[in-house]
Amino acid sequence: MIRNFLGVLLATLASVLVLSGPAAATPAKETPWLPEAGAYRLTLFLGNLEPLPWDDIETAWREPYRGSEFSIGALAWLDRESDIDAAQLLNAITHEDRQAVFAEATRLIALRIEEELNRAVAAEDPAHAQQAVRTARELYRAFADGIATAEPDVARQIGLAWLELNSSTGSAGVLGAGVTSADRDTMAAARRVISGYIAENYLIADFAPRQTLSALPETAILSGRAIEVPPSLPPGSDIFDQDPLPRLVLNFEEQGIDETDLPLVAYGDMLFDSAQIFGSPARDLGLACSTCHNRSDVNQRLFIPGASHQPGAIDVDGAFFNPIFNDRRSDPLDIPSLRGLRFTGPYGRDGRFASLRDFTRNVVVNEFGGAEPTPFMMDALVAYMLEFDFLPNSMLTPDGQLTESAPEAAQRGEAIFNTPFAGLGDRSCASCHMPDANFLDRQAHDIGSVAPAYEGARAGALDTPTLLGTAYTAPYFHDGSLPTLAAVVDWFDETKTLGLTEAERTDLTAYLQTVGAADEPYEAFDAENTAFGLAFAELTTFASTIDTLLPRRDVRHILLLTDTVAADLSADASTMSNLAARPDVYALAEKLAEVGTAVRDGDWAAAEASWSAFQTEADTIEARAF
Amino acid sequence: MAMHVNRRTALLLASASAMSLATPLAAQDVRLRLAFIPQENPEKLLGDIEAITGWLTSEVGVPVEGFVTIDHAAAVEALRNGDADISFMGALPFVLAEAEIGAVPLLSEVYRDAPSYTGRIFVRRDSGIGSLADLRGRNIAFADPISESGYLYPLAEFVKAGLIEGPTAADAFFGRVFFAGGYQQAMQAMAEGLVDAAGASQYADLLLTPRQQAEVTWIVESEPIPSHLVIARPGLDAGLQDRFIDAMLRLNAPENRKKLRYLYGPDGYVRSDSAAYDGVRDMARRYGLLE
Repeated sequence: MIRNFLGVLLATLASVLVLSGPAAATPAKETPWLPEAGAYRLTLFLGNLEPLPWDDIETAWREPYRGSEFSIGALAWLDRESDIDAAQLLNAITHEDRQAVFAEATRLIALRIEEELNRAVAAEDPAHAQQAVRTARELYRAFADGIATAEPDVARQIGLAWLELNSSTGSAGVLGAGVTSADRDTMAAARRVISGYIAENYLIADFAPRQTLSALPETAILSGRAIEVPPSLPPGSDIFDQDPLPRLVLNFEEQGIDETDLPLVAYGDMLFDSAQIFGSPARDLGLACSTCHNRSDVNQRLFIPGASHQPGAIDVDGAFFNPIFNDRRSDPLDIPSLRGLRFTGPYGRDGRFASLRDFTRNVVVNEFGGAEPTPFMMDALVAYMLEFDFLPNSMLTPDGQLTESAPEAAQRGEAIFNTPFAGLGDRSCASCHMPDANFLDRQAHDIGSVAPAYEGARAGALDTPTLLGTAYTAPYFHDGSLPTLAAVVDWFDETKTLGLTEAERTDLTAYLQTVGAADEPYEAFDAENTAFGLAFAELTTFASTIDTLLPRRDVRHILLLTDTVAADLSADASTMSNLAARPDVYALAEKLAEVGTAVRDGDWAAAEASWSAFQTEADTIEARAF
Repeated sequence: MAMHVNRRTALLLASASAMSLATPLAAQDVRLRLAFIPQENPEKLLGDIEAITGWLTSEVGVPVEGFVTIDHAAAVEALRNGDADISFMGALPFVLAEAEIGAVPLLSEVYRDAPSYTGRIFVRRDSGIGSLADLRGRNIAFADPISESGYLYPLAEFVKAGLIEGPTAADAFFGRVFFAGGYQQAMQAMAEGLVDAAGASQYADLLLTPRQQAEVTWIVESEPIPSHLVIARPGLDAGLQDRFIDAMLRLNAPENRKKLRYLYGPDGYVRSDSAAYDGVRDMARRYGLLE
């Protein structure tokens, strides 16, 4: 058939829904948004931030959203595709009138739906009619979650109307074969269902004031009912794991100790991957510690409009995650690596937390709005994170000297690294990035990389970061403002007047690249050793802590585990390459969910039986889990 | 706006421009003109076409141009009247184009090591539907009435099971039959409970969210369907045809595989085996699409 080449399927592991849903930490790739629908969704999202980023809203309409398949922005697209005038919308944006922007943008999308429906019913052939129906439906998607939340029965009626409408457009057939003509009466009837609802709820002159911008229908707003639309990320968001996936180096594992024999660590490992420890919206969006810190390292692709100024950066104390913790400053930070965490304290870019435990609690409770973790959870999380080791690097000795295998340029650069410079206060790079102390000094220094927030501010001191593993964590500096290690060298040379020659800068860069290198920085996958295989092993390891928790009748921590792991196991099955084994993984996930159900019911015998069944089935599936 | 150029006219202009360039030059220059069928986003396809035709030009040794047609019928028409030399094509349109204009199969797409796939009938796991017979009087969404895996082959399973006499008797068996407009739309309609079942490609559940994927299953699988192809107009220079095939087969090499995403994203290509499409020819006859 025409639009649905098999390739489309395999290339687009997609959801037609907005990026929301289960709390499993497995995001689903989104179906691309039409430019104006994408701009509208971005407007709703950005319009709920405080302070409201007006420039970003204008950009949302003028430029394609990040990662869009369309090369032009919504306004140019409208100019090309539509007769609808966006002047009123632009005027509202210029006047920074939030309610007017909402009203104009909503009406614009509604008008576009009507425009495409008009084209569909006027089309003389099925191909063009279906194309218009498809476009109208893609635009309707901008409202769909609001309607489904507020009025599920109406959403269902409209869903059927879309089916009716498409079915009644007829078929162009191929070369005269299989031609069926349009059923105009059915088309008109189906269109009336859709258009009637749109007119009543989205194409109205005066919208009621909105506290929160959403796609909820006007009638639902007027009803005064408390309706919460499930949180979603706007177009342009990217919470997928980095590819290639960073290699995780766990101290115990390198020593041949099995994680299943370390239940506290294993439970902490589970919590690190659990969205359940956060509050909404992070929890509902499936965000976990590991979303930003992939495999203890960074996620260079992470991007959330309004919270990220560039990929790999996030403002965790902005308006989105936990409004009560909103510092009302747009200060996204480049995500730091957690490798070697037990050697890199104090914590936070400015070293404001001496304790990893305090820092972690702040992340969970304040930054991401989670409930107060139990002491056991905190102990587990810290125990796990303290196992993060630096990547092995055969070009470095344990005390930070280069080995003979290091390139000659790096050897020359090592001498420069250890040379005192007047511009550095007669200190060398190594004074702070101490080679025998994992290339850091556990102190905060103001090197002039932070613009003063106000006149006279003394707030620019940042914790010295390690240089280990940095070859894979670009960009650099707290705000990710320097794209390469060479740029870092140039920055110091220029701002500290080091007077390096070009050759010296090259050598110093080579040294940094060598210090920051690793023997195996990424996970290696093949046909059967897949990312799912890795996830399966992790999830079954997490589950092994039930062996410890069940005898203790530890309801809270068992449920946290079963809710997390059962959902993740089921969601991760969608990434399997061995499609034939998927049903078995779904069944396995159900077994774990049954453990949770039995524990909720206080039926410990049933819980133990389900747990035993899970273990048996996990063993039999393991070989096919790829 | 002096001239209202929308997506459709833009496509037609792109097509017309390719043709207006190609037609007069064809008499003096050797070149290849490829017809593409749009997916969800024709604009992205235009970018993909530019990328792949640039590569093919260097590999085949003659200028390779591409243009987008509105559908398969238009692509076949372009092959018939010489506006296109080669086109990407589904299995059913190919057998019809073969019968109508003598189109020649060149290459077949490969997915998961096979130049074939299947269609399935999907249902929600909590629906209680375990067999085709359970769907009597129930509503079903198919992808499109000329889709192999999204209609013809799955429906044939009902005939095979003795539940319906033939393709035209489907309405009498089901409550309602919808054509949703694509695999994804059909699958969503089923997953959301708008209909009881969906007929779609074996891989169509991958178009659902991970949670929805866990909530659906399939109850019957069709016989293998030969995959989509690349076909040529009759009379295309044999040497040029061979060079094009060789170039396309080089896409299977590891260093070129990334370019496959410009071409509907198969895992690779193999030379077409015309006999492999006999089943599609039979199916087309059963549905009255082919004499």
